[in-house]
Amino acid sequence: MKFEELSLLEIVDLLHSQKLSSVELTQYFIDRINDRKELNAVLEIYDDAIEQAKHADERIKNGFRGKLAGVPILIKDNILFKGKKASCASKFLENYVAQYNSTVVDKMLAEGAVILGRTNMDEFAMGSSTENSAYGNTLNAIDPMRVPGGSSGGSACAVRAGLCPVALGTDTGGSIRQPASYNGVVGIKPTYGRVSRYGVVAYASSIEQVGLFTKTVKDNAYMLSILSGGSQNDETSLKVEVPDYLAQIKGNIKGIKVGVLKEVSDAVKGLDVEKTYFDLIEFLKENGAEIVYTNMPHFALTLPCYYIIAPAEASSNLGRFDGIKYSRRSVTASNVDEIYVKSRSEGFGKEVKRRIMLGNFVLSSGYFDAYYNKAKKLQQKLKKEAEEVFKSCDVIILPTTTGEAFEIGSKTQDPIAMYKEDLFTILANILGVPALSVPCGKGSHGLPFGMQVLADCLKEGQVYNVADYIQRQYGR
Amino acid sequence: MSKTKISIEEVRRLASLSALDFTEEELNSFIPEFEKILEFVDQVKNCDTDDVEIEYTSHKLATLREDEAKESSPQEEILMNSPKTKKGSFCVPKMLD
Repeated sequence: MKFEELSLLEIVDLLHSQKLSSVELTQYFIDRINDRKELNAVLEIYDDAIEQAKHADERIKNGFRGKLAGVPILIKDNILFKGKKASCASKFLENYVAQYNSTVVDKMLAEGAVILGRTNMDEFAMGSSTENSAYGNTLNAIDPMRVPGGSSGGSACAVRAGLCPVALGTDTGGSIRQPASYNGVVGIKPTYGRVSRYGVVAYASSIEQVGLFTKTVKDNAYMLSILSGGSQNDETSLKVEVPDYLAQIKGNIKGIKVGVLKEVSDAVKGLDVEKTYFDLIEFLKENGAEIVYTNMPHFALTLPCYYIIAPAEASSNLGRFDGIKYSRRSVTASNVDEIYVKSRSEGFGKEVKRRIMLGNFVLSSGYFDAYYNKAKKLQQKLKKEAEEVFKSCDVIILPTTTGEAFEIGSKTQDPIAMYKEDLFTILANILGVPALSVPCGKGSHGLPFGMQVLADCLKEGQVYNVADYIQRQYGR
Repeated sequence: MSKTKISIEEVRRLASLSALDFTEEELNSFIPEFEKILEFVDQVKNCDTDDVEIEYTSHKLATLREDEAKESSPQEEILMNSPKTKKGSFCVPKMLD
């Protein structure tokens, strides 16, 4: 049987009914990862994966029916799993071993999951192509000449290439949805605070979220109900009830109000995604949705707003990497100041240094009001505009990317071109609302791209319902 | 609006604030790169934001937990990732003569 072709729900069913053992399944995916080493999607297969699977099989035999009992899952390299390396694809954390479990890992283990290994990413999640990894770039799962997107490129590639049924990522400005788009898989960034960030290495704390990749929207809904829920250790996580998202998929979109933003309709003109975007809106209308034409006048400023807030928070968050507490210390440092400077200079890659410098610039005296405070105010303004939009819309539709995956190396010399990759994804991070990318069309080279469904905070159920309809019905 | 200019002294000061060391060549390459990025983010300056207050709290639904004393991680776990420790402490070169 080709397990990589099964959905997560089908796999859970096989494991629960004991028609398939976790050991067999886990070994199958380990073999696939080893067979596709050229993708460089997976940085490490944990040495106890088979042990974990044996344990899961034992529990299943004894009647345990956890929602992920025996399911092998890959996690992004910035998510902590006790006793395992978590390097954030950085040389700085090359030998860092997690001292505790992240909340998401605990939640998956409680449901019986096998944590299979860790996936490649842009260093400290800074990038849109997984070319910024200190351990080499990851390839697009469909076209090896192209990038998988980023920063969670390893996870997206792994799901598409059938190296696991589900993989976790993080999304600060599009780091789940953009690679989902480029690899033709489903990826969600949940509401800010929906999933606890405890045990996830911080980049831009006020806008980032843990999320996940699957092949189907239904798998994604099933999985998010497991990962969601507040934790005492993350003050920003929301201690509100977690719905059964799968049960919120109704199978129809009758009467659902779909918002179309004027600024987005203008921005897509001439892009590879233009036709699909307008076709999709037409399709939703024909199938019973009510299209609401609305606007967010400051939409275009989301991108510069992000590139102020994110580096500012990054420069603060990365201050902890001082060469004393974690992992790397320069061997040539002879005093404390040199430990800081040399360890950081040797350990961080180019993009990380660039963002730390930029962050310290916008936070430095004389510029703080002009940049950081201004961006925070703008964020507030955008939130108010969104409040108005969500008064008349259940969901908003946006493209995920401007087109299909770009070629490796084509944007590495131009940071602004790379930053513009996030044109359509950043809105959801700035607003803190849930956004999902569902595969929707193909670009001029025949490669996939996705469309996003956004909804107001904590309305993931609405997002899944519409996205599931699109995945099953659009283009058929 | 005039472009934000950045000087080599400013780049040096930022590098020092960032605890990062660069070669002269790298420092110089930051100037055009930064000016380009700043030109891009300078767009926010055109937006009128007098009507909004900054909210530094992340989410209106977020809550603080009670400040209760709890068991901490064991000392050896906290120290295990440090490149150098001694008698239960982080170890750095001598600071005072």
